[in-house]
Amino acid sequence: MGKKKITPYAVISMILLVLVALVFIFPFYRIMTGAFNDPTNVWKAELFPSKLTMQNFVRLFKQPAWKWLYNSVFIALVSMILVCGTASLAGYALAKKRFFGQKIVFTLFICAMALPKQVVLVPLVRIMSTFGIYDNVWAVILPTVGWPFGVFLMKQFSETIPTEMLEAARIDGAGELRTFWSVVFPVVKPGVGALAIFTFINTWNDYFLQLVMLTSTENLTIALGIARLQSADVIEYGPLIAGAALAAIPIVTIFICFQKYFTQGITMGAVKG
Amino acid sequence: MKLKKTLAFLLSAMMTASLTACGGGQAASSSAAPASSAAPAESSAASVAEPAGAEVEITWWAFPTFGQENADDPVGTYEQKIIDAFQDANPGIKVKLDTIDFTNGPEKIVSAIEGGNAPDVLFDAPGRIIEYGNNGKLVPLDDLFTADFIADVNNDALIEACKGKGTPYMYPISSSPFYMAINKQMWEDAGAMEFVNLEGDRTWSTADWEKAIEKLAAAGMNPGTVFCNGQGGDQGTRAFITNLYGATIANPEMTEYTANSEAGVQALTKMKEWIDKGWLGDGVSNTAANDIELFATGFSSFAFCWGTSTALAQAPNMEAASVTPISLPFPSDDGVPELEYLVNGFCVFDNGDAARADAAKKLIQFICDDPEWGPKDVVRTGAFPVRQSFAEKDLYAGNEEYAVLENFTKYYAPYYNTMDGFANMRTEWWNMLQNVISNGTDPKEALDAYVAASNAGMNAA
Amino acid sequence: MGQSNPAAAPQKSLSHVLQRRETTVAYLFLLPALLFFAAFVIVPMIMGVVTSLFNYTMKSPVSAESFVGLGNYIELFKDKVFLRSMWNTVVIVVVSVPAVTFFSLWVGSAIYQKTGWIRSFFRGVFYLPVVTGSVTVVVVWKWMFDFQRGIFNWALKSSGLIEKNINWLGDQKVAIWCILLILFTTSVGQPIVLYVAALGNVDQSQVEAAQVDGATKLQTFWQIKWPAIKPTTLYVLVITTINSFQCFALIQLLTSGGPSNSTSTVMYYLYRNAFSLYRYGYANAMGVILAIIIAIFSALQFKTMNTGVEY
Repeated sequence: MGKKKITPYAVISMILLVLVALVFIFPFYRIMTGAFNDPTNVWKAELFPSKLTMQNFVRLFKQPAWKWLYNSVFIALVSMILVCGTASLAGYALAKKRFFGQKIVFTLFICAMALPKQVVLVPLVRIMSTFGIYDNVWAVILPTVGWPFGVFLMKQFSETIPTEMLEAARIDGAGELRTFWSVVFPVVKPGVGALAIFTFINTWNDYFLQLVMLTSTENLTIALGIARLQSADVIEYGPLIAGAALAAIPIVTIFICFQKYFTQGITMGAVKG
Repeated sequence: MKLKKTLAFLLSAMMTASLTACGGGQAASSSAAPASSAAPAESSAASVAEPAGAEVEITWWAFPTFGQENADDPVGTYEQKIIDAFQDANPGIKVKLDTIDFTNGPEKIVSAIEGGNAPDVLFDAPGRIIEYGNNGKLVPLDDLFTADFIADVNNDALIEACKGKGTPYMYPISSSPFYMAINKQMWEDAGAMEFVNLEGDRTWSTADWEKAIEKLAAAGMNPGTVFCNGQGGDQGTRAFITNLYGATIANPEMTEYTANSEAGVQALTKMKEWIDKGWLGDGVSNTAANDIELFATGFSSFAFCWGTSTALAQAPNMEAASVTPISLPFPSDDGVPELEYLVNGFCVFDNGDAARADAAKKLIQFICDDPEWGPKDVVRTGAFPVRQSFAEKDLYAGNEEYAVLENFTKYYAPYYNTMDGFANMRTEWWNMLQNVISNGTDPKEALDAYVAASNAGMNAA
Repeated sequence: MGQSNPAAAPQKSLSHVLQRRETTVAYLFLLPALLFFAAFVIVPMIMGVVTSLFNYTMKSPVSAESFVGLGNYIELFKDKVFLRSMWNTVVIVVVSVPAVTFFSLWVGSAIYQKTGWIRSFFRGVFYLPVVTGSVTVVVVWKWMFDFQRGIFNWALKSSGLIEKNINWLGDQKVAIWCILLILFTTSVGQPIVLYVAALGNVDQSQVEAAQVDGATKLQTFWQIKWPAIKPTTLYVLVITTINSFQCFALIQLLTSGGPSNSTSTVMYYLYRNAFSLYRYGYANAMGVILAIIIAIFSALQFKTMNTGVEY
């Protein structure tokens, strides 16, 4: 990092980088300007909206868009909490306990880890109906929690818990729960953070599962709601773009504010995991 | 810091929960039970049988077939008014409404059927309804098809369209033809109006059509597109193509698909030629809804998938863009069009509960036959009543447009939408158009493949 | 467990008791995860495998009559649309994986030594499509790709580069590239973050030592940096592969698999069979095949992860 020599290569690559970055920003910029532009200008190639209005949003909110947003947040948050909870408990057990059937359980988790949900599409819909929660946010949450990636990640993290610390707690007479709570958890905490971010984003973006599980208009997520606007019988592009903006703004804001944690989360998730 | 505390609390809660839960030991079912009870209450409309005397709750899924009374009313407003009136008249029945759309709706219905969560009442058309019926998912409606009703409808073809293998599954309320629309201003500006016949039934010839689109293109007007990207509206493109030179989709006995006739090949070849010349739009990336939007916002000069309900739904768009549509039958070589048509009607899903099925039947009878609501409902569908007794009331008195459209009904073509393998045929139709337009596949070859696949699908179904 | 005296008790039975206790405790910890896992992964998996042996459709439920053995699998390999979808899936993987990997490595090396805010800025920009969400991204791209009025056609036409509008999503040769482009923008975010971290952890003193020894940039890269980032690269390859396999929203919302199935993927075709054609058994058979393919990559991923990357 010390000396900065400006080579032609560096200059060219910087210019290229900026150009490519523009390609990445442009769609986002287009959503934001389009959303606040007049609905009749939606097809115009204006870099700045010639007329700033909230009309698109007014029309959008004829649909239960707040409810969609709420559903998205609910699904992502609850899944995140449940995944972190179940995975840190299970990960600890897999990493630090020696027990009968350990190998089988772990192998099962591994095999299922990258399984796309489409693979079990029809049976999953069946199961949700049997439980009476088809077309309900829980039909999205429960399979998400069942997916074992989190367990695997937390297992990798729990490997780093010093066994001596566990021994010491045991000798002090701490019960299993207290050991987990006061010894294990502090060590794996960064892992839980990584997993939380990872799960939140993935669940928020898990269009497929939402698509097959949710049907009623008021039970949709924001992603699904927009998808429906796009393929509605009467298409209105203004409100559609406003919807896209509404879906993007919350999570992008969170991302910009907590970029550091996101990056940490991603790196840790990959590297330790 | 706060985050840490919350996480800590949650984890410990999880832990205790898991440790207490282990006592029960029941695997899958026990884990889901608390979850579902914690779920938002409104939508756990599961399959619990109602005890006698209690309220019956039924669900009604509605495609946006009813136009709303005011342009600003959100989808479902009118339907809710019907429900309110119905519930007042039938205090023991509660109706829950869900609105679905034509693009995603069909898949939603299928997954609901598969999951055992089908609605009780569905407002749709025969194409899908008869397929569900033939697959044993519906309650037969013999008791609604009384001699009085059949006599009142007085149209055998229409009654047959509501039956699957002889069993009535759909209770019809109204019907209307599918036709095309042109943008008055654009056609006038391009000087193409001279080819259009606005007298009588407005029938016109393929030759006139060809001259008209040539003029439009020369004047720089955007053509409508032969859309073929997805789901609905396929009847529009089919009617356009078959009418050009008098091809037919199926044989009169409805046992075989026949579009690969000489007339079919000729039409498809022409279509491709027009697209290459820019007289017709390439619609491979458009759905019917995209194409309609292009027309209603004043971008394109004609649209192949027009109908009374479309006109109603697009009225705000057209007003904003000052588009004046003119309804026309499809051009044909002999000047006698064969139009496809829509029958709006209701079916009742078999959810294994007689009380719900009865309540559902009551609802559909109320919607279709109630002396006050029946005619009103017909008008909201923007179509013509199937009951002659309603037709005599002249529901659209003073509406010149509807007087013309009513004349279109005499050009109704044989109804093939209830043939076996219809759903498969539609998919194949899109594929065929995509192949010809984007892939440059030879029209004859493409049609042969389409007919072969459609017939195969019919036998498989 | 501290109460018993280890020295006094017979060694063997104590360890036996301890072992049993440990097993119980371990399973209690595992219980919540296992419950969810069993109910929503294992059970549906088994159901899927079993029903894939039946001609299970909306009309015919799973029953003795509808049993077809491996019939669905045999049909799959004769089904042209399935084979086309499989081919498209492979094309998507084969094009996007190297593209994403090279690009992220390039961006990573270009920015990892930059000052904090520049690095954050670029990292953020490339990660933006991921957080924006696939549906939103698709909506905006579809709007821009619009054949008749889209901004791309407008720009190209008004700058005189094209005469006739390009039907981006309706042209067989173009549509798949549009999909790939969008997939690319939503895929590079994570790899870039990973590469920046990995490159940042390369021992700088070694790099400097090599430079002192007169090594060229390229030599330094291959001899010092590359070995250090190899595990990351492997990981990137695997996650990108799996992501590309799973590409669904893009297809469904952008092209519905068209034109002429030229953008249909296995995922999308499976969905269509289940929900448009009501062929559940057939869809499940496709699911099983997909599961096998993905399981292979999953195993690979596990191997990669276990190569012990440490930062």
